[in-house]
Amino acid sequence: MSIDDATTVANDRLADREDMIVCVDVDKFYGDFQALKGVTATIKEGEVAVVCGPSGSGKSTWIRCINRLEVHQGGDIVVDGIELTNDLRNIEKIRSEVGMVFQQFNLFPHLTVLDNITLAPIWVRKKPRAEAEAMARSLLDRVGIPEQAEKFPGQLSGGQQQRVAIARSLAMEPRVMLFDEPTSALDPEMIKEVLDVMKELARSGITMMVVTHEMGFAREVADRIMFMEGGEIVEVGTPEHFFTNPTEDRTKLFLSQIL
Amino acid sequence: MQDANQLSGDLEFQRGIGQQGSSPHEVPSLPVGQWLRKNLFSNWGNSLLTLLGSFLALLALRGVLNFVFSENREWDAVRTNLRALMTLSYPESQYIRVWVSLGFVAGLAGLSAGLWANWGGVSVKRLSTWLMGSGGLLAVCVIVREPSVILGSDGKVVRTVDGSPQRESFLDAMVDRSSWWIAAAVLLALGTLLWGRFTSPDRRGVEVSVTSVVFVSLGLALLSLWVAPYGHYAFISETKSYVAESGRTVAFSTKLPWTVMLALLCGFFYLGRILRRSDYAGIIKGASNLLWLISPLTLFWVVLRDPALDYGHVMSTDLPMGLAFGFLGGAVLWSLTRPGVGEAGRLVATMLLGFAIFNWVAAFFGWYPMLQKARISFLLLAIAALLAPNFIGEIAKRRQLVLSWLGVTALVHYLATMINTPSTVELQSSEFLGGLGLTLFVALIVVLLSFPLGVLLALGRTSKFPIFRMLSTSYIEVIRGVPLISVLIFFSVMVPLFLPDGMELAELAAVLTGYTLFSAAYLAENVRGGLQSITKGQYEAADAIGLTAAQRTGFIVLPQALTVSIPQLVGQVISTFKETSLLAIIGLFDFLRVANSVIPAQSEFLGVKREGILLVAMIYFFFNFTISKYSQRLERRVGLGER
Repeated sequence: MSIDDATTVANDRLADREDMIVCVDVDKFYGDFQALKGVTATIKEGEVAVVCGPSGSGKSTWIRCINRLEVHQGGDIVVDGIELTNDLRNIEKIRSEVGMVFQQFNLFPHLTVLDNITLAPIWVRKKPRAEAEAMARSLLDRVGIPEQAEKFPGQLSGGQQQRVAIARSLAMEPRVMLFDEPTSALDPEMIKEVLDVMKELARSGITMMVVTHEMGFAREVADRIMFMEGGEIVEVGTPEHFFTNPTEDRTKLFLSQIL
Repeated sequence: MQDANQLSGDLEFQRGIGQQGSSPHEVPSLPVGQWLRKNLFSNWGNSLLTLLGSFLALLALRGVLNFVFSENREWDAVRTNLRALMTLSYPESQYIRVWVSLGFVAGLAGLSAGLWANWGGVSVKRLSTWLMGSGGLLAVCVIVREPSVILGSDGKVVRTVDGSPQRESFLDAMVDRSSWWIAAAVLLALGTLLWGRFTSPDRRGVEVSVTSVVFVSLGLALLSLWVAPYGHYAFISETKSYVAESGRTVAFSTKLPWTVMLALLCGFFYLGRILRRSDYAGIIKGASNLLWLISPLTLFWVVLRDPALDYGHVMSTDLPMGLAFGFLGGAVLWSLTRPGVGEAGRLVATMLLGFAIFNWVAAFFGWYPMLQKARISFLLLAIAALLAPNFIGEIAKRRQLVLSWLGVTALVHYLATMINTPSTVELQSSEFLGGLGLTLFVALIVVLLSFPLGVLLALGRTSKFPIFRMLSTSYIEVIRGVPLISVLIFFSVMVPLFLPDGMELAELAAVLTGYTLFSAAYLAENVRGGLQSITKGQYEAADAIGLTAAQRTGFIVLPQALTVSIPQLVGQVISTFKETSLLAIIGLFDFLRVANSVIPAQSEFLGVKREGILLVAMIYFFFNFTISKYSQRLERRVGLGER
């Protein structure tokens, strides 16, 4: 299946939406090793795209290129109409539009939960502190841990920390949320609480790109699933297509191992 | 750090904030007998070691006590020279300047402590243990000290036939020391009383604040100045004689100022406590930090030194120059922060930096004369211009930079003028201040100034820009490859030679510069250690939420890095303080040198060294132990928010 077919398979509800993330022939090298080989994909506004694939397939690298935590060497990445170049102002602009949630949470351990969330709104968005704190509290409410605002990250469980990390990203009111294996570092009983928050987010209509191994989540909320291997997008399709009728052998092999 | 985050993934993991001190999992303490058996006499070998260790400790204690209380000790040498040990030959008629400076520092310290400190409490039980411990130690001291010699009716030591001094019997000695026994008994009784009242489970958590313990101890020490007969000792410089009157309290000119100092400390502490809750807490905190940075220099060079300003010169040169740099430089910075200034701004900043550096090179070879102040100002302007891109934007932001520039210019020009004006204080040695005053001043200045410089160097060394990395690394490596003494000698002897004609730099200023540059290199390495402990994830998270590089450094990286490096930083502070004694080598009279060479040279106390040096060692220990203890508390407290 070719990449051109990818958008045609996408959900009808997104047909007339604008392009949010456009990647064309993105190449990324680590020394001699090519981590991304001409990755081309378009993610529409409001779409929930799940990227899966075996480890080392380049899916984390790709998502990290989108807010330039990694620098791509070939091809173009355009986010919300802004092209990612070395221009610092473009990078800062994209980063304030794109939220990111990491596998390791990466909360700031020396700040309270509330300070973690309000830091960027106050200093990047220049919001008054009171307003930022009110928003932070409502976000904590939304992710289900309003009572933890004054604690330090080290006092929270992994699942709670990851929900704080989601709230921290949402505080910048991003148009796109990137999730880089958000549940991989969690104990099994905590995965659900994070996935519930993510499902709620997906239904709220924000554009999401999620790298994950949680196939249940993908089946339930994804508009599109992209399967990567060896730095390439191998197969793209709706969850229905992907789980019931995959065309590529490599996809079938992957699914047989993971399901 | 990140692994710990991962591991802490269970819901049980809850550490109580704000309830430090009374841990819910406190191990019930054993009765004394069981504790001894468990820890000191658990088996034969252990018991033997315990006995041997105690014996050695007692022996050492006895040696020290016999040394201190020996009839050969001339403690009068120290008592009469206390003022010399503190400030050396600072003229008595001007002594109010010393007290004003000290009072300012005491007030500022109180204010800062009130604004910032959160020392928590210490349990009454612990306090009672301290009291009992010190009472017990005092009793042991009274017993192990050898009996005093017997003084004959002529006031001389009675000697036996073979010439050794005759000592009183053990029993007589104990009776003679009855006042010490009473002191020990009071301490023990007080401790036991508190212990008995506060061991019941429901009261064992009772705490008193550390602040009140500190203030009460200081207050008791002060009270003793007014009531205890420490004796009145003084050097009369006019007649070159000394008074030594035992049996009365210390001089009025000692106890009154110290009372004022303590009043200032306490008063400003409570003022700080009140202001802490006010709406202006942020501004006041900033102002007190700024005062810490400025006041040591101002107190030393302006208040203590009392420069004789030449107003003609001030009006014709200093003031116009300061104004010109302030306003012309401000105009340059204003235009450099214009939105859309683009690459041109960077070009101008780089050219300014080149010009500023060229000025110093020119000074080195003496190509053209220029006031040192101008060189420094050009360098500062270049740095401000390099910082300017961070302030591009709306008027308020640009005004911030220009106003800061005006403030810095005013301060630098004011201090430079004051430092270069001769003092009116009558000097009796090469420097107008010596002793503990000089030691503390140098240590404080070096720590305060080398801290920001060291942090900048550490950031430079870990920067991704090769030029910063190279410059910082070579600077740090060069400085660390050179002994401190050679740096001090270089700055005191060589630097004045490089200065252009008519330009003078006070020797102390040159030495302080050298010491600061030296200390900053070591500090930078300590901070770098902290910087390396910050995981990549922290940088990425800061980037991902859109912080700029400066915000990332200021809010995320530095706070964590500095927290991690507290032990090393405190070690650096302590060693800086101790190494000020090297100032003696370049001719300054620091604390130790006063005890080592000034007192033994006085005709009354020819060759009396040991007493002074013992006192100096004790005071050094007191300061460093306090710093070390405080840092341990600090570590525990800031460690709480982590992991």
